[in-house]
Amino acid sequence: MHPTMITTSTCLLVVLVLLLFPILTTFSPKPSPHHWASSHVKTAVKTAFFVSLAPLFLFLNEGTETIITNWSWMNINTFDINMSFKFDHYSIIFIPIALYVTWAILEFATWYMHTDPQMNRFFKYLLIFLVAMIILVSANNMFQLFIGWEGVGIMSFLLIGWWYGRADANTAALQAVLYNRIGDIGLILSMAWLAKTLNSWEIQQMIFLSKDLDMTVPLLGLILAATGKSAQFGLHPWLPSAMEGPTPVSALLHSSTMVVAGIFLLIRLSPLMENNQTALSVCLCLGALTTLFTATCALTQNDIKKIVAFSTSSQLGLMMVTIGLNQPQLAFLHICTHAFFKAMLFLCSGSIIHALNDEQDIRKMGGMQNLAPLTSTCLTIGSLALTGTPFLAGFFSKDAIIEAMNTSHINAWALILTLLATSFTAIYSLRVVYFVSMGHPRFITLPPINENNPSVINPLKRLALGSIIAGFLITLNYLPLKTPILTMPPSLKLAALAVTIMGLLMAFELAQMTSAQFKPLPKLTPHNFSNMLGFFPILIHRLLPKISLTLGQAVATQTVDQTWLEKTGPKSMTSAQVPMISLTTNIQQGLIKTYLTLFFLTFSLAMMISLS
Amino acid sequence: MTPTHFSVSSAFILGLMGLAFHRTHLLSALLCLEGMMLSLFIALSLWSLQLDAAGYSSSPMLMLAFSACEASAGLALLVATARTHGTDRLQSLNLLQC
Repeated sequence: MHPTMITTSTCLLVVLVLLLFPILTTFSPKPSPHHWASSHVKTAVKTAFFVSLAPLFLFLNEGTETIITNWSWMNINTFDINMSFKFDHYSIIFIPIALYVTWAILEFATWYMHTDPQMNRFFKYLLIFLVAMIILVSANNMFQLFIGWEGVGIMSFLLIGWWYGRADANTAALQAVLYNRIGDIGLILSMAWLAKTLNSWEIQQMIFLSKDLDMTVPLLGLILAATGKSAQFGLHPWLPSAMEGPTPVSALLHSSTMVVAGIFLLIRLSPLMENNQTALSVCLCLGALTTLFTATCALTQNDIKKIVAFSTSSQLGLMMVTIGLNQPQLAFLHICTHAFFKAMLFLCSGSIIHALNDEQDIRKMGGMQNLAPLTSTCLTIGSLALTGTPFLAGFFSKDAIIEAMNTSHINAWALILTLLATSFTAIYSLRVVYFVSMGHPRFITLPPINENNPSVINPLKRLALGSIIAGFLITLNYLPLKTPILTMPPSLKLAALAVTIMGLLMAFELAQMTSAQFKPLPKLTPHNFSNMLGFFPILIHRLLPKISLTLGQAVATQTVDQTWLEKTGPKSMTSAQVPMISLTTNIQQGLIKTYLTLFFLTFSLAMMISLS
Repeated sequence: MTPTHFSVSSAFILGLMGLAFHRTHLLSALLCLEGMMLSLFIALSLWSLQLDAAGYSSSPMLMLAFSACEASAGLALLVATARTHGTDRLQSLNLLQC
């Protein structure tokens, strides 16, 4: 076999083994030492990262992609299910990035979760999650992808509910599972349709056999799966609620890796979607709606983690829009660059939260630029990368997406929504930076602000480096499969930048107004809409169940009893007779009035008859 | 209908209505009864004159005699009511009615 092939296959399988090994050692009855987390798990991930760089460099040099089919798992007549790994350009680029980000997060978590008695278990859960994510990303058939899909869902549940003594955390974990389950319905529907129609779950065969078929049903199922997993509008409330978990969980799962699983699924199966205009339009409109709605909600949140969570949701909407534009590679590029700066934003938030003695409300922060300079600098770098500042990481992906959007035949509504969401991104990023690092401190004087621990500094530095150069490096080496449109009027070319700068200027103006009270009783309708998340959670989680339950109660207790006893049974008899009876006894009271009136009536009747 | 006929009929009907609808005092019912009797007396008198029927000339006198008896019976009832109930109001006769 060719040495390149051997090297690539070996390295990638070694990565999996390196990550599985610490998990398997926990099955032994000997209790692990307290520093097992930092010595074993973090080292495993670090080594796996360096090992995974070898296939990456070979791919960049020679373009080697591999598919490794290990084991024939089962077959049902002519339907084969194998254990098969696909290391194409998507997986080979994503796996080192995921490992790099995870390495930084694990190192940070050794500081963040230092006082937690179950730290080893926490790291084990994170590692199992990472393995499931890599299985999902490298799967060559739908069965293996489904295994990874469910794995990340379950680990998300366990990690969000890490502090299970807190009722809110349990509710959030349950929400995550339920919303993901609804998406899973779509995935299983697609898998069933594909098994029935194409008789295969291997990605190669599916793409080849589906050339002339009408794929609307499975594609809508896949879009539903992505809606559930990647928090698109309609199934989005679990993502901000998932911030109940510890910050390393938010950084790893709910910003870089798990939530992009849905988008990754659509990217993997994008050849199925190329010719189906319905599916593409659904993706486009859903993504545009998501990105604007969640950006609006992010504008008035006061919890720093919730702002970053809504920012993640907004970027996921942008990725969905890109898929709707039939540009899966740009979506993948955005996934890669987004992982860096979003994880860094979460780690900065975690550092600030711990520094201010677990304070998460931005109205009670301030002045961190002087008190925690490295953290607030990294926060600023991350925010700038997020808004698409030219030549930082986010610029290469975000600007390319908006250029592609401006120059394609799509509906103007989606375009306007996305541009508006881009300007909102600048607004809420400035809001975070303003409230956290600028101005005077708004907290009490003795919080334990200390960022001098290398476990905090090194991950932030590594991720900051990634946020600055990752976009540049990836676009240098990654050939686009679709030719981008390179000529456009300057207004379209600068649209993203102009919209972002406008948002930034408006946010500056608004920030000047925060210290002056404009009106004594302002009309707060838009603020309330945004702050209450568009009233979506209240309606869906509280009002709809309440209506269903009260309907059930009314039917079960009142309606049945009333029908059988009062309307059709004994009481119906009385209720039919009594009105007639009371009407009749009205005349029979023995009043003189009655007699005299009757006398008069009879007499006048007689007069009429006699006179006519 | 001739004016005579009309006026006599309307007098009778007005008296009847007064009898049926004045329900405050017993005395007002008796007075209306007297009014009805008066209109009947006039009707009878005019009737025998209009039709030149001499045989009916004495009917008004008969009518008057009987109405006097009836009026005295009514007055006796009034006095008895006033003696037992203290007033001639018709509400007091209905007091035990629920």
